Amino acid sequence: MVSTGEHIALSPVLIVEDDERTQARLVHLLRELVGTTGDIAVADTVADAKALVLSLKPRFALVDIGLPDGNGLELIDWVERHHPDTTTVAISAWGHEEVVLAALRAGAVGYLMKERDDAELRAALQSIRRGGALIDPLIARRILAHVTFTSKEDAAPPVSPVESSTRSDTSLSERESEILQFVARGFSNREIADLAGLSRFTIEGYTKSIYRKLAVSSRTAAVFEAKALGLL
Amino acid sequence: MRVIFALLLACMMLAPAVAAGQTLSTSSATIELRSAEAAPADWHSEAPPVDGWTPVKLMDLWDARWPRHDGVVWYRLHWNQASADQPAGLLVDYVNSAYALYVNGSLIYSDTHLTEPLSRRWIRPQYFLLDKPLLRPGQNTLLVRVSGLAAYQPGLGTVTVGNPASVQAQQRRGEFWRYNVQLFDQSVSLVFGGLFLILWLLRRKDAYYGWYALCTVFWSLYSFNFVASSPWPFDNTDVWEALNAAFYVISTVTFAIFLLRYAGYQWRRTERIMLMLCMALFVFALLCPQWTGRYRAVPIVFGCSTYYASIFGFMGYALRHPRADYYALAGSLLIPLVVSAHDMLLFLSVIHSDNYLLAVTSPLTIIGMGSALAYRFAVAMRRAENFNAELQREVSAATHQLAETLKREHDLALNNVRIGERLNLVRDLHDGFGGSLLAAISTLEDPRRRPDPAQVVTTLKELRDDLRLIIDTTTHERDTDLTGLIAPLRHRWSQRFEAIAIDSQWTVEGVEDLSLGDMRVLELLRFLQEALTNVLKHSSASLVHVRIRREGERLSVDVHDDGRGFDPGNLTTRGAGLPSLRVRAGRLGATLRITSSPGDGTRLSFDAPLSPVA
Repeated sequence: MVSTGEHIALSPVLIVEDDERTQARLVHLLRELVGTTGDIAVADTVADAKALVLSLKPRFALVDIGLPDGNGLELIDWVERHHPDTTTVAISAWGHEEVVLAALRAGAVGYLMKERDDAELRAALQSIRRGGALIDPLIARRILAHVTFTSKEDAAPPVSPVESSTRSDTSLSERESEILQFVARGFSNREIADLAGLSRFTIEGYTKSIYRKLAVSSRTAAVFEAKALGLL
Repeated sequence: MRVIFALLLACMMLAPAVAAGQTLSTSSATIELRSAEAAPADWHSEAPPVDGWTPVKLMDLWDARWPRHDGVVWYRLHWNQASADQPAGLLVDYVNSAYALYVNGSLIYSDTHLTEPLSRRWIRPQYFLLDKPLLRPGQNTLLVRVSGLAAYQPGLGTVTVGNPASVQAQQRRGEFWRYNVQLFDQSVSLVFGGLFLILWLLRRKDAYYGWYALCTVFWSLYSFNFVASSPWPFDNTDVWEALNAAFYVISTVTFAIFLLRYAGYQWRRTERIMLMLCMALFVFALLCPQWTGRYRAVPIVFGCSTYYASIFGFMGYALRHPRADYYALAGSLLIPLVVSAHDMLLFLSVIHSDNYLLAVTSPLTIIGMGSALAYRFAVAMRRAENFNAELQREVSAATHQLAETLKREHDLALNNVRIGERLNLVRDLHDGFGGSLLAAISTLEDPRRRPDPAQVVTTLKELRDDLRLIIDTTTHERDTDLTGLIAPLRHRWSQRFEAIAIDSQWTVEGVEDLSLGDMRVLELLRFLQEALTNVLKHSSASLVHVRIRREGERLSVDVHDDGRGFDPGNLTTRGAGLPSLRVRAGRLGATLRITSSPGDGTRLSFDAPLSPVA
């Protein structure tokens, strides 16, 4: 498969996963996307992953949340700070939405659920390559709850110009919030695109920008919160 | 006898001195005239009688000599003035009751009322300044015309002449002790009385405040005797004296009741009898003032004994019940005890003086009693405050306990909810997941059939999807509506169909605020999942439409595809899943309708009641 101008380059890819079968499955799925010439590296510990990030400078990283020598959330946060060019996606099995949300806030732009069918994972990866991100209703609902809280704070006059600019960067636009509402009610991207009069790829782009805002507003806090929640 | 003899002897020895008079030799000296001659006369006597003069020693109370003589007694005094160049001061210390004063035959002073109602001149000493020509060198004669009633100790006190400054100073001293102090006593009594009257009005329960106020009021009325210069508002001295005695008795009786009440006793009968005695005395004083006045010693002795009895009684009580306020009160009563003994003796003419001392010490007594009452008030206040603190402590303890109980009950309720949820989860696992798992195991274990790997994967994926449903429905917030509960399934299946290019359409209407209950929602989701699995696996459809709609009190569910369909009559063609779907629709209280014909798609639909059928 050849990358077009619309696609972001995924290669080199870093897979951080300690389970061999899942490694193989992900390598197989990614191979379809990056082609035989694509560079796919695999790490099964946090330490290896950090070393590889620094040497390989991957464009794309899949990070398992549960790793033997550390926590995937911390690694995502580390990658985001040390190599922000890397697009990071979290991997989880039966992932609780709190964990997923923590990964998004740590800087991931998406997540993959191991228990899903290959076809679903493939669709998700394609979406990511298109520059978008996937989302599901439970996560959308979580983000909406978080956003509602933030917009209430916005009602108060900003303390300083710096703070107010940070706020406006991180608060969701009306369109973004509308899309989240649709997602929370179970609408597919195609349906949302029809309802909102946008292309479905645009919807995926919105999703990604929502994730970005989530991460910017709360990345540093996310780790602490996740710890407090007992997720780390 | 010996006393009389001694007195006679003294009179004989004094007689020449009386005749000679006393001599004021220098202008700076003063002499106290203690010798005089007295002669009785009638009320309207204009001039001193010619005879009938008796030598007397001042102070002289004539009732001892002429016990029935009401009217005038003339007193004649002499003194020798070495020179009349300097003016001389004259002090008439005590006259009971009204008088006129003549110096060398000239009238220099006369009271307003020399007949009834008699002026009450004895309340304060009087000072005069004498100069020539009235004042003569050599012998000067002083005539004092005293109007009085035998019943009320009429007579004349000492007279002092001499240096005006020192005589006037003596007059001022006398006026201060006899008159001003009495005024002060009156004021203090009234103030304290008023204070405790207000206190009693605000706290009727503490009756001793009221009795104390009553006592001070009557004491003030009685003490008015020492400052009133006329019997006004009465027209004669008898009424005044009678009522005065009555006031005295009432004040001692109320005082006794006050002490009783203060000590915590409430002798209703004694109180009533004493108060009735007071009332009788009061009425008697008004009706027969003369008689009462004459014999006022009786009520006064009665009042005095009441007073002493109550004081001694209270002191005994205080000794038996050591308490600060009792001691303060008993201590303040000790002063008047001694002083009033003195006054009593004075009144009964056992000792002679022109000064009743009780008034001087009375303010001290009142202040002492006031302190005791104030102390008691403060103690009561403190007790009330302590009670408040204790009450607050107990209320907070009770609140705490209540909060604990509520918390325990809340925890219990929460725990019950959790247990209920866990039971639901177990039942979910048991019903769907467990059943599928057992089916999968027995299929795989069946020795007659070689396990088909694809079949195994399918079975495992079904198990996975069921687990997903259980997770989705059990991890949701309680208040999520049906739309929200269907959303994850809808999303997942949209993605799946999309991945294999089946167009899926969903219509979810009118269920925004609908809540079916966890078990029924799971049943509905399982129905949808199995129906969609069938579509995915068997139908070869290009379009699937799921419609969930609320129609009145029923929930209409419809899943149809444009796939190859089947013959509903022929169960062998497909339908391994159909019985399960029927069961699920049945559990929702509905009957599954299957519309299908080969080549024309399949439609599964049912209408379920919104609330579970009993």
